[in-house]
Amino acid sequence: MSLLKPFSKLPGLNTANIMLVENEEQFQQKLADTVVLQEKTVNVNVRLARSLPLPVENEESRPRIDLVVFIIHLTSELSFQSAETSLKYLDPGYFQGKVCFLVTNARNVSVPPERLVSVRKLAASLHCPLLCAEDQTTEGVTTAAHRLLAILKVAAGLVPMATGLYLSTLTRCTVPSGIDQQNFE
Amino acid sequence: MSSNEVTLRQESTGQPLDTESEVQDTPAPPAIPFYTECSEAAQAELFNECEAQFAQLEMLQNEIILAEPDSDENPQEQSVNRLTAVAAELKQWQTRRPELLSTNPEVLLVVGAEELQKLNSQLELVLSCAQAKRDTLRETLKSEQKWLEEKKEVLRAGTEHVVKQRLENERLSEHSVLQDTKKKIQKMKDYQNRLMETLADVLAEHFPLPTQETNADKKKKNIPQELNENLISLNEVLELLMNKTLETPHDPYVSIDETFWPPYTEMLLRHGIAQRHPEDCFKIRLETFY
Repeated sequence: MSLLKPFSKLPGLNTANIMLVENEEQFQQKLADTVVLQEKTVNVNVRLARSLPLPVENEESRPRIDLVVFIIHLTSELSFQSAETSLKYLDPGYFQGKVCFLVTNARNVSVPPERLVSVRKLAASLHCPLLCAEDQTTEGVTTAAHRLLAILKVAAGLVPMATGLYLSTLTRCTVPSGIDQQNFE
Repeated sequence: MSSNEVTLRQESTGQPLDTESEVQDTPAPPAIPFYTECSEAAQAELFNECEAQFAQLEMLQNEIILAEPDSDENPQEQSVNRLTAVAAELKQWQTRRPELLSTNPEVLLVVGAEELQKLNSQLELVLSCAQAKRDTLRETLKSEQKWLEEKKEVLRAGTEHVVKQRLENERLSEHSVLQDTKKKIQKMKDYQNRLMETLADVLAEHFPLPTQETNADKKKKNIPQELNENLISLNEVLELLMNKTLETPHDPYVSIDETFWPPYTEMLLRHGIAQRHPEDCFKIRLETFY
């Protein structure tokens, strides 16, 4: 089974599972530790992956993934391409509030601005939220973990009166019509 | 399906790029201590309710798996799916009726107590925070007041100084200037008197009128000399000259007569103290020193 499906397994009691997908494997471990440390009331499992699809042999032991986070480093083109190819292995059901993009190094001057625009377009076309994170400072990592946890809890159904689909309609990334490649040249 | 092919190819190369690891779970949070323990019956009732809920969940899960549609890669289809899902959710929210947590009053009591305790602790936090804030504000107020006092003090001192200065200024303009001038005039007069006295002393000491003794000395040299008894002293000569200059500045010349002792007249002329009239050689005047 190559597609990762959101509802193929039963949810665990008081548990939320988040998967961090990052091609470079620089940031995910730090972020994972912070996420686990931040949350005290809910069991949070963090799973790390370089890319999708996930290996078949872990299929049985893998819990239901409530939120898939694609970490994209704007400094590398490969990061974006890897995330783009990985997206194909997600069930469309995930795009109803269970996918989120996390961009780092957005403030770096050497990054071509078109790259952020293309990530924004990708996120907008999939109706997913796009978060920007600072991966160099502890404070930035904590903030990113905090924001991810907020989304995760909703996506895992742990917040009464809120669903991932509902949240994503409010937080999804939009690209203003004015932003185009030409504007940055 | 394209995704399947990609998977197969990756596996055939024998390089599983993707690794999957698990980060340790957070330790299960300690159960919140119950305010009052539920009775066995209530616990059993709750347990049964949970069982029922879980059974329903499993049933729904099976339904989902059975109804899993073929995934669509088409983004347009995805948008339609999304729209459908949102519409369905909306409908569900609209039809949903609020339901009671539990019908058992005992359970409700415990839950309510728990909630109140939670609220209480939160409010305590708010209280302490507000108190800390209030304390810092009080400190700030105190320091600000102190500052204000200091500023007022400075202002008072400044105003006082200004008033003092103004008073002094007025006094100076009216009275003290007059006094000053008088003092200066007095000083000048004193100075002049002193000069005059000194001059008189010097003249009296060093320029005496010729007497019989001196004449006697000269007679030894057989120089016959008429001694005029009416000679006036150098002091008087100078007085005459000065008075004439001051009284009639347009005509300061004094006529030389026999009362002037010629050597002294000559000395005055030679040392540039007096000047002869350019046309009348019997008239002299004081040199214009001013």
